Amino acid sequence: MPEISGFAFPNDIHVHWSLMIVMYPYITGFVAGSFIVTALYHLFGKEEFRPVARLAMVTSFCFMAVATLPLNLHLGHPERGIQVMVTPNFSSAMAGFGLLYTGYLVVLALEVWFVHRREIIESARRSRGAKRFLYAAMALGTYDTSPEALEIDHRAVRVLSAIGLPAACMLHGYVGFIFGGIKANPWWSTPLMPVIFLLSAAVSGIALLLILYQVTARLWRRHIEGVTVTAMARWLWFFLIITVTLELLEIIMLAYEKSESWHIISQLLTTRLEFSFISVQMIIGSLIPFILLAIVVMMNRYLHERVRNTLTMIASLLLLVQVFSMRWNVVIGGQLLSKSFRGLRSAYHPLLFDREGILVAIGLLVLPFVLLWIFDRVLPIDAGEPREAKPGAQADPPRAPASAA
Amino acid sequence: MEHARHVFRVLFVLLVAVVVVVLGRSLLVPRSYGMYGPYRFDNVAEQASVRPPLHGGARSCGECHAERLAGLSAGAHRTVNCEVCHAPLGRHVQDGALVAPMPVDRSFELCARCHAKIEGRPAGFPQIVLAQHMDGATTGRACLECHDPHSPKL
Amino acid sequence: MPDVHADERPTPSAGAEPVSRRGFLSGAIRLGAGAYVLLAGGGTWSAENAAKYDWERHRWAYLVDTTRCIGCGSCVRACKAENDVPDGFFRTWVERYVVGQDASHVDSPNGGLEGFPPIQTAFAPTKSFFVPKLCNHCKETPCAQVCPVGASYRTKDGVVLVDGERCIGCGYCVQACPYGSRFLDPRTHTASKCTWCYHRITKGMKPACVEACPTATRQFGDLVHEDDPVRRAIERSRVSVLQQHLLTQPQTYYVGLDKEVR
Repeated sequence: MPEISGFAFPNDIHVHWSLMIVMYPYITGFVAGSFIVTALYHLFGKEEFRPVARLAMVTSFCFMAVATLPLNLHLGHPERGIQVMVTPNFSSAMAGFGLLYTGYLVVLALEVWFVHRREIIESARRSRGAKRFLYAAMALGTYDTSPEALEIDHRAVRVLSAIGLPAACMLHGYVGFIFGGIKANPWWSTPLMPVIFLLSAAVSGIALLLILYQVTARLWRRHIEGVTVTAMARWLWFFLIITVTLELLEIIMLAYEKSESWHIISQLLTTRLEFSFISVQMIIGSLIPFILLAIVVMMNRYLHERVRNTLTMIASLLLLVQVFSMRWNVVIGGQLLSKSFRGLRSAYHPLLFDREGILVAIGLLVLPFVLLWIFDRVLPIDAGEPREAKPGAQADPPRAPASAA
Repeated sequence: MEHARHVFRVLFVLLVAVVVVVLGRSLLVPRSYGMYGPYRFDNVAEQASVRPPLHGGARSCGECHAERLAGLSAGAHRTVNCEVCHAPLGRHVQDGALVAPMPVDRSFELCARCHAKIEGRPAGFPQIVLAQHMDGATTGRACLECHDPHSPKL
Repeated sequence: MPDVHADERPTPSAGAEPVSRRGFLSGAIRLGAGAYVLLAGGGTWSAENAAKYDWERHRWAYLVDTTRCIGCGSCVRACKAENDVPDGFFRTWVERYVVGQDASHVDSPNGGLEGFPPIQTAFAPTKSFFVPKLCNHCKETPCAQVCPVGASYRTKDGVVLVDGERCIGCGYCVQACPYGSRFLDPRTHTASKCTWCYHRITKGMKPACVEACPTATRQFGDLVHEDDPVRRAIERSRVSVLQQHLLTQPQTYYVGLDKEVR
């Protein structure tokens, strides 16, 4: 039984939304954030994002594939989970999940398909037997790689990006709405919640890709483009500033208006959430990356490449922790305070070996990277780019004409 | 359009998927869903008969224990339902037949639950500080030494 | 003070047909058992059968007079027995407020199931009282609004119910209820809460908690009837509801609610 300080309604002392419900917005945050990065190239045409665009799209796809798992692990009746799509009650934000998830999945799958279609066909031509059948099926039985067809692919990708960006934003925005629309819980109830979630998702997506880009570049022996890293750092810094501003604004507003919940929320922040909010989310997770990224952005001219890469890597890793702690503080924090506004329950500790426990959460985080690796084996993510010559080495001839990567 | 063949194939696959989903959904939607709102109307009847009522009220006790009920109704405990101190009707009688004897709790804790003087009780309500109310240890059936629970006023 | 029967035990709702008590009770039990069997066989309750109990002819409401509550916990015990409520969870509970000049203390030991122990507060109390609580069966329910599959709904006679067959156990309604009335049943993994004893009120009986209350603190009524005591109390005396600012339009009304109560 949890310990209660003060008075909590007798039914209020349970944390029903567990670590899995922290993981869900974390994972969909990566989905939305990665898509924002790929849209910066495919939709807004920013050339400096070209090296990372394909990786971002596939990352979004791999995290998307995993997104329903934390929800199903949490439900009391996962076998009835499909009912959300069969009889959705549209007054509920959660019911939007069915349509938004499926819709975005379709858009993203199509976009991945159009981008990779040429490689699929080439792989089909090159393989034999079962592999050939697989690739031919993926190509839907057409073998057209003429410039006109590729141009149509190009345009399709642009259209899909244009649909996909608001779809991705809504996919994550509605998660914020799930919390923001609960007037019963003062820690959650604010119109800012969907905005905070979405901006936080952008932070997590860009940070993840900064890390992935540098890691995969080393794996594939590619040069890490300084322009790309700088551009991502700039956008990351920008999103970080807005996100933290809004996160703090919500609290400042509660304190200033001395709303009736402020008494219990300030207790929540200074006792139960002291470590996870003040130490982790704000100081380690926001202040330090802010400084590191400020150095990268403002002093870009004076920085050696290695320093820039290292600083952004550290800042990104810290930001991944920050976004996780933000989700934790919102989801778990909101359940630690009782609706009586007179009591707090003791901190929630997820179990290690539970269906909704720590090992499962780690597994959920690792799984998209496993999928990413499998995807790369089937359709190399790195295929489209001409290899950059390392200084002094002979340049490799490009494997294929520059495509709409 | 020759070169857009793959686009048409994709759209065709999507169309097939949509048809499958719509048909599948219509198989899964419960029969009475949506009749009066976004819920399964059959459940209303299910809830109305989810279990046989357990409590019967004092009148139901009076059907067999008429004198007891008459005595209770004349005394200070006339507003107290028999089932509050004893047990719900359904534990004693089911379908008109006796299934188990009615438990009788004669401990002073039972009386103290309502009549001990504690913060919160309205001033006009009869309550006592047990230690001051009577001499000697307040244990066992102390209250019953003086009070008849069915007509407790002395 | 509303003129409700201080000295009478709670009566069946004013619109019930007069029937012999023995016949009524055994008929009720038989109906319940029979319907149970019918249900197990999977019969459908069509709108025609509803004539036995017509939900269009009732509008239920609940009244709690906190000036009378003695904190005996009989209601909590009755509810637990009547509805097989799991340990540690509550469809109804009682809170005690001990209020001083600058401080207040609230407690609800095990929901008030075994009554309340004596209490000593660090401050000198100026007033103290009990507040029974239960599902408010709001007209603008935040809980039914957020159910993703339509498992939680409000009937035409004003009772908010949970369809245990459709509930997916997501817990959203538990988070959305401002009053802490809901919980996830650890045995069925579905949402559960006070149903105003729907299986009793559809047979002309009162909810178990109302039946058990020895001081007429808890009263149940039908707003359709003009001379219903609960309707009279709501119309003519000063009543309030919990957390009024949230505009959930609760149908559980309170008499004598103090500012300390949330």
